[in-house]
Amino acid sequence: MSRLTSLLLGRLLQAGLVAWGVGTLTFLLTRALPGDMAYRIAAGRYGYENVDRDAAEAVSRELALGGSPLGDYLHWLGDLARLDLGHSLVSGEAVWSEVRHQLGHSLDLAIVAVLLALLIGPPLGMLAGLRRDGWLDRANLLGAVLLRSLPSFVIGLLLIMAFSVGLGWFPAAGHGGASHAWLPALALALGLAAVSTRVARNAMAGVAGSPFHAFALTKGLSPSRVFWRHGLRNAGVPVVAYLGVQLVYLIEGVVVVESLFAWPGIGHALVHALVARDVPMVQGTALAMGLLFVALNTLVDLTCLLIDPRRRQA
Amino acid sequence: MTLHAIDLGVWAGDDCLVAPCSFRLSAGENLTLLGETGAGKSLLAQAIMGTLPAGLEARGEVRLDGRQLLDLRRGERRRLWGRELVLLPQEPWHALDPLMRAGEQVRETYRFVAGDDAGRARERTRRALARLGLGQAARRLPSELSGGMAQRLAFAAATAAGGRLVIADEPTKGLDSDRRDEVVALLQEAQRDGGMLLTITHDIQVARRLGGRVMILRDGRCLEEGEAAELLRRPRSDFGRRLLAADPAEWTARATPPRAAGEPVLRAHGLGKTLGGRRLFEALSLSLSPGEVVGLAGPSGCGKSTLGNLLLGLGTPDRGRVERATGLAPHRFQKLYQDPPAAFAPHWTLGTLLDDLLRRHRLDRDRVPPLLERLRLSSALLARRPGEVSGGELQRFSLLRVLLLDPVLLFADEPTSRLDPLTQREILPLMTELARERGCALLLVSHDRDLVRHSCDRTLELGTPLNQGSALTAREERAMPESG
Amino acid sequence: MIATLSLLPSRWLSLPRARRWGAGLLLALLAVAWLLPLVTALDPARQDLMNTLAAPSLAEPLGTDHLGRSQLARMAAAIRLSTGMALVSVLSAALPGVLLGVLAGWRGGWTDRALGLVADCVLALPGLLLVLLLAAIAPGQFWALYLGIALVLWVEYFRVVRATTRSLAASPQLQASRLLGFGPGYLLRRHLWPALAPAISTLAAFGAANAILAIAALGFVSIGLKPPTAELGLMMTDLLPYYREAPWIILQPIAVLFLLVLGCQLLAGREPQ
Repeated sequence: MSRLTSLLLGRLLQAGLVAWGVGTLTFLLTRALPGDMAYRIAAGRYGYENVDRDAAEAVSRELALGGSPLGDYLHWLGDLARLDLGHSLVSGEAVWSEVRHQLGHSLDLAIVAVLLALLIGPPLGMLAGLRRDGWLDRANLLGAVLLRSLPSFVIGLLLIMAFSVGLGWFPAAGHGGASHAWLPALALALGLAAVSTRVARNAMAGVAGSPFHAFALTKGLSPSRVFWRHGLRNAGVPVVAYLGVQLVYLIEGVVVVESLFAWPGIGHALVHALVARDVPMVQGTALAMGLLFVALNTLVDLTCLLIDPRRRQA
Repeated sequence: MTLHAIDLGVWAGDDCLVAPCSFRLSAGENLTLLGETGAGKSLLAQAIMGTLPAGLEARGEVRLDGRQLLDLRRGERRRLWGRELVLLPQEPWHALDPLMRAGEQVRETYRFVAGDDAGRARERTRRALARLGLGQAARRLPSELSGGMAQRLAFAAATAAGGRLVIADEPTKGLDSDRRDEVVALLQEAQRDGGMLLTITHDIQVARRLGGRVMILRDGRCLEEGEAAELLRRPRSDFGRRLLAADPAEWTARATPPRAAGEPVLRAHGLGKTLGGRRLFEALSLSLSPGEVVGLAGPSGCGKSTLGNLLLGLGTPDRGRVERATGLAPHRFQKLYQDPPAAFAPHWTLGTLLDDLLRRHRLDRDRVPPLLERLRLSSALLARRPGEVSGGELQRFSLLRVLLLDPVLLFADEPTSRLDPLTQREILPLMTELARERGCALLLVSHDRDLVRHSCDRTLELGTPLNQGSALTAREERAMPESG
Repeated sequence: MIATLSLLPSRWLSLPRARRWGAGLLLALLAVAWLLPLVTALDPARQDLMNTLAAPSLAEPLGTDHLGRSQLARMAAAIRLSTGMALVSVLSAALPGVLLGVLAGWRGGWTDRALGLVADCVLALPGLLLVLLLAAIAPGQFWALYLGIALVLWVEYFRVVRATTRSLAASPQLQASRLLGFGPGYLLRRHLWPALAPAISTLAAFGAANAILAIAALGFVSIGLKPPTAELGLMMTDLLPYYREAPWIILQPIAVLFLLVLGCQLLAGREPQ
């Protein structure tokens, strides 16, 4: 089995685990809802004055409520396996179509955030790594430690206070032009950059102290050529590999930062659905986020495979 | 072309690390700096190259064709690298960029250091690789190269820009004797067309084979200098004599004949083992008797350690079986390790670990002091942790630890290969002596045939060279008539 | 965190400077949070609608919030809550994490594979998502939050301990001790534990930081604990509408969260791997 196949199979297994985990948790969520669930959900969907027995029973059928717990559970997972996610209990729209829109918005935000983070973090880190214990290295460490102690939503809060309220440069919330994306993306990016800059710094310092770096220099290559031909790529491998670990931070950040900035993405929708106890939407959005996580991880794996030929050997 | 070092020394502030010494090299000559590990030899090479670590400073003069190198600024010094000064890396495998294909690592020197255009660089790379037998390896990554191939590749990459002074710093570190000869041949290549070679080594065999001139260094000072042929036969300094005597090739054969051995403590019948798809040995039978010292020799990767571990029960053979003499406790079969610090729990003092052992086997504490004395270990060492004593001391402590258990078989897996030659000279005879004295069978693994020949009663030669697929059965050579 | 704190003060001076700062910072915050109620009568729930968003004064050193509640009382309560929850979660994650890690690394084979699969199941989802869904099942309940956090945290211990144990199990030092006749208890005590302890204490400090952050994040999106509980994230959400009138009040939970996490990070003494 080639490296590529085993990697993709592993990620496929992870996707399966995500689906199963989300399905199970949301099933537990339905069981934990108090009162006559079907009635409450129907009320939420059609308004209290329009609820009758038929509506409640329709809901009950739709969510397969009322059987034995195990039967309900299997039925629940069966629907999930058929990718039948149902309709939102609040808006009545198909979960799929809602999630599709929200996912697009979240991807926009995530991509801008990752690009910003890569622009800020690794270059500073590599510079710091080349001049170990220099002033840039110290400043880099201090900045990284301070930033890492602030979760992305707090960074977001501080950004709102500083830029939209204090300076009035950016809109604080909502989703319109490109200007709305800056603050939430920056809130996510700063946290990501704080970690990746140290990874890049340590990787670069490791490379700069390595025998092959020294040998490239004594072979007669100029320092800048050594950096571009040997340093960058070798230091880049751990930085990219670590992006995989940071994806957790990204996904978690999306949930909270979107809520803070009222960004109409998947994280915002998940929080809304949880508050409204809109179970099909909870399942749909959580599933989408989980699968996004797996997809991004796969992307990181493939990039690693691309830039590190050692990994391609079986 | 000449290199002339005048009163060249290395200083850390006011501390002199290498005392000023002078030497001269002309086109086609070679000079070998010989000395113990840590004698400051490598610092001299770095002083000539201009790669001393921050905080160290070279003083004196280094003249390359009259130019005083130590006065050059960093950038000017750098322009000499590759073009005039070549530094061969100590461990070539680590000196190659792990992500870059073999051919490219040579091509970039032609292209960017020698200044060839793209086509010519490609062509010269192809020819250089072909000449060194690396033609098939151009597309491989360093991790796919054998140690020998990596060595040749690093050589090609370093010398591609035509530097005439080649500096080789411990080029044979950790190599077995076959590989060592390969490296010597490679180094002689560098010197063939009027190049100059400066070799730094602790290995007398390398100095001997390279010929030319030799300088013996100790504690950062030059003790003597002369033609290799003469100086390595009759060194004038006391240290030179000791260094020479430490070379296993010079050891005198043991005077005492082996004791008549009793019933074997261990018998192996028809052992066969395949590891990672390679057959290491097949239908191998042997027996070990009390008090006999048996050498286990062969090239690296031929399965010496694996065989020893099978005999100790630390692995299971694919075929065959190992029988121990009856009535012996399991802990009387012991092992000494190649890397002494790796064989100890690093967080505790040697005294604590010794107490643990005494308690575990309810041993008499009075047995420790005489053994300490016999092994020339100070009891002050017991207050230190394994990482805080020298490799030689720790290996002697390992010996003490196993001797307390009255072993009947001791498997010593390259017990001195990480130690410098003088320490090896001291420990190995002590080990064989103690084994014979106590009637313990000693199975000694070494890649050094001279060492095995001079220490052992008989030798077991495992012969599967690294790159050949076919497994050879062990060939046994007897230095002495078989006993028992 | 726990491991290091219990060693104070005898090992205090042997700690690197950053770790000392971290421990000092945490101790100061804990002291304020736990000792203050002993000295003065503080009630984080008592409202005084006549005195809302008051600036710091002698009577109310940290001012009052939008409902006129004492900010000092609320901050102290929030610190007790966050650190208490973090401590309990870290402890209950470390125990199974370390034990199962040693078991998997030592035994290998199917034990290792089965436990590895369980860990992969937990890691398949980003941790916060798991905590979020668990917390939603029982809104406002401490146990759901605690269960979620501990469930996410144990995996880190498991993975690190398993990797260390596995490499040690195959090492010459263990082989040598086994040949010398020592049993598993000795190997654990002399070889394994000293190798694991530093990693475990570092993981504990990072775990505590993550637990504190997770609690705050959940409070911030109103999924975790419910008002009127004094919780850092919840306070930020509640006070956000008033940040123009009384910026010093919303900055308080932000600063405390920052200091708590900073303290844990410094105490960990290493950068996260």
